[in-house]
This record gives sequence, structure tokens and C-alpha cells, in this order.
Amino acid sequence: MANLQHIRRRIKSVKNIQKITNAMDMIARSRFNAAREALLSNLPYVAKTKEIMRRVMGQMRGREYEHPFIMTRDDLRANVERAEGKFLFIVIASDKGLAGSFSSNVFKEAHDTIEYDGTGDSTSMDDDGDDENFHKKNFDALKGVKPAPSRTQKQQRQMSATGSAAKAASHRGGGGTSGGGESREYHDANYIDGVELITVGRKATTHFKQRGYNVIKSYHGISERPDYKYAKEITDLVMERFASGEIIDVTLIYTQFKSAISCVPDDVTLLPIITDDYVKSSANLKEEYIYEPDVVSLLDKFMPRRIATRIYGAMLHSAASELSSRMNAMSNATDNAQELVGRLNLFYNKVRQAGITNEINEIVGGANALE
Amino acid sequence: MATILLEVATPDKGEVYAKEINMLITRSICGELGILPKHARLLTELIPHAMRIKEGVGETQLFVSGGFMEVTPEKITILADSAELPDDIDVERAKAAYKRAEDRLAKKNPEIDIDRAEAALARAKARLLVKGVHMG
Repeated sequence: MANLQHIRRRIKSVKNIQKITNAMDMIARSRFNAAREALLSNLPYVAKTKEIMRRVMGQMRGREYEHPFIMTRDDLRANVERAEGKFLFIVIASDKGLAGSFSSNVFKEAHDTIEYDGTGDSTSMDDDGDDENFHKKNFDALKGVKPAPSRTQKQQRQMSATGSAAKAASHRGGGGTSGGGESREYHDANYIDGVELITVGRKATTHFKQRGYNVIKSYHGISERPDYKYAKEITDLVMERFASGEIIDVTLIYTQFKSAISCVPDDVTLLPIITDDYVKSSANLKEEYIYEPDVVSLLDKFMPRRIATRIYGAMLHSAASELSSRMNAMSNATDNAQELVGRLNLFYNKVRQAGITNEINEIVGGANALE
Repeated sequence: MATILLEVATPDKGEVYAKEINMLITRSICGELGILPKHARLLTELIPHAMRIKEGVGETQLFVSGGFMEVTPEKITILADSAELPDDIDVERAKAAYKRAEDRLAKKNPEIDIDRAEAALARAKARLLVKGVHMG
């Protein structure tokens, strides 16, 4: 027979947990409102920057124009063929856990993006008419680069990836220790050399450090309330490394906040900027811009701002997503705790009743025996 | 009278200003600019200053702390780090910022980022000018 005291203790601990999850839910809720507010007031700025960028790039297209951050897809292909640079990924996740699958979704997207070899379906949302989701397109372009003795980083990564994928598959088939669950394996070892990471959020840092990735910079304590100044810092770092040729591709991975119940991880290529993708806008633009003082110095100033804006926007998206995920997770946990308490109470009463019945039986039995 | 749409957006506060106006007088890094409706396409960088917005007979001022301006015949878009209407400007804070920046510049300490201090000084000066406070 179950011990009454045990059950009582259990009920109490579940109730305590419920109190905690309920409190976390409310905290997340109030912070979420602030985060959503911040996101909403940032949106017009982002949209306008994008618009201007699009118009300017539409004009740039097809022009002989030298700027280290802007190139055509052919340039990119040529560049990747000879360049030694690494790929940089900026991953934005959360500082704290207890937000459902928020962090693991971001990591999944990040691994998918890092390992994307131009074959499988990209998980990025290319269908929303956003012509700045270059990542897939760039990879598709790079696929065509012929394998030369001095293979490019990306191709090396592809080659070794397929090799070890086969190995891993056979290994799993033989051992059968992995349990055949849903979990997929990441072939981190093949990518570590060619990849650098900047992480925002403690969870992201630990996740990727554990896997041996080269995390060149990480930001903690700002995931819930991002500050423009960090976005600027990241931008400066990224631009500097890109300009010096240490990195040849910058991709941002974050969670896009669509609504309180739908947050989708997304990847976006920040650099280089490929003019081929701005074809649409150039068609209806005949007039030329007047640039003051001149195109190059203006773009030198405008590009960092555009990138910082994107990073900041992504941070805000991520913050709102994190808090809404936590809100959902915590309110679910509270509901579950409520249900559990109900079940335990029922069980407690049953056990108690059984005990009483038992005692009565004993007394009746004893009395009968005396007669 | 012909009008042109002016939109001012900042990263933190969204759209600060969105109105049909008659004329905008602003200062870019190349000098002062007056923009009337049907202006040619233009892209330029602004310095921290108070823009003058003319609509009808009235004129309002709007402080911008630098940023970019895109002009098309129908619309002026300004992307500013921050933008404030005169009523929103905190004079005391601006004064304090002014003093701080001035002190920094006066010290000539090599560790101090001169560009940043000068930018801060320019911002504070422009903010104070909107409020009609003149400093040295």
C-alpha cells in the first residue's frame, strides 16, 4: 500500500513547481509584451532600410562597380574558388532554457544551414518573396564550381560530409545502439575547420563550444532585451573580418517571430551582397540617384548600418520568439501540474479510504473473533 | 501647394514622423539642403542637426542624430539613429552630455575615442539648439 505521507509530499512538491512555472509564465508574459513592442517599433525602420537597399542595389546591377561587399554571383563563384576564407555564422538563441524547443529549433536550423551542401531542401523560407534569402541561391551557384585539386572549403566540406554520412549510417546499422530514434546526427568534425561562429545567448555558446566549433565571440545576458550597440559591435567585427578576407560568407541564423504561436527559425545571408538578386527592382527604375558625396563613401557608411539593422532586427525577433516560447511552455507546464495534482489528490483519497476500510475490517474481524 | 511625404524612422521608436509636407530643410554631410516636392532621387548622409519642416504656414523642427536620407519625387525617407520633436528633448540631459563630451575632448587622453566624443558633442549641441539653448 502506498504511503500516505509520500503522496502528500508529492502533491506539495508538484504544487510548488506549479507555482514556479506559473510565476515564470507571468514574467515571460510581461517581458514578451515589452519585446513585442520593441519589435513592432523596429519593423518600419528595417523595412525602410531594406527598401532603400533594394533600390540602390537594383541600380548597381550590371554596373562595373568595385566594392568589396557587393558582387555578382559569378564573382562570388570565382571568389570562392580561390579564397581561403572561412564561413561565419551568427547564431542567435536564448540565455536560459525552459522555453520549450526554442533553442533546439535554432540549433537544428543552424546545423542544417552549416551542413547544407546544395542538395537537400533548404529549410529557409525562400517562398515569402524575400529576395534577400541568398543562402540557398549562393550554395546552388557554388555547386557548379568544378572540383579542382585545390578544392574550395565548401566543397571539401561537402565531400567529407557525404563520406562520413555513409560511415555513420553503416555504423548505426551495425551497432543499433542509437535506438533508431528521431534524432539525427551532425557531422560536426567535417565543418569545424571551415566555420566560425558568433553566438548570442548562453545556450548557443555552450551548444557549439561543446561540439568543438570555433566560437570567436559570444554575447550573454542580452537575449531577452537586445541593444542596438551589440548589433553594431557584431557588425564591426564581421565587416572587418570580411574586408580582410578571413571570412567570405556571413550567415545569420535566428528565430523569426511570426505570431505568438508561430516562431520559425530562419537563415539569412548578410555578406556578400549579391546584385543578381535585385533584378526585379531595377526594371521599374529608370531614374538615377544623386549620391552625395559619392556612391562609394555613401555605401561604406550605409552598408554597416544595413547589416547592423538586420542583426538588431533578428535579435528582436529572437527575443520575442524566446519569450513567447517560454510563455507557451510555462503555461503548458502549469496546466499539466494542475492535472497532476488532481490525479494525485484522487489517488491520495483512494489510498486513505482503503486504509480506513482496512482498519474497519480489522476491527470487525477482531470483534467477530472475540464472540 | 504641392506636398511631399516625409517619413522619419528610428530603430527604437519606429515611425517618428509621417506627414505630407511642403518643404524640408536639412543638413547633409555636404551642406544644407532644401527639399521641395518632385525632387530628383537622392541618397545622402545627414549630420546631427535640427531639421526644419514647413507645412502650410507653420514650421516645425525635428532633431535627428545623423542618419541617411533618401529622396524620391513623392517621398522623403529618413533613417535616423534617433529623432525627437522639440517637446521630447530633455534639456538637462543634453546639457550634461555636452559637458561630458567637452571634458573628454579637453583632456586629450589618448584612450578616448575622439570621433565618438565629437559626435556626442555635435548631437548635444544640435539638441540644445532646437530648444534655443546656446552653449559656448
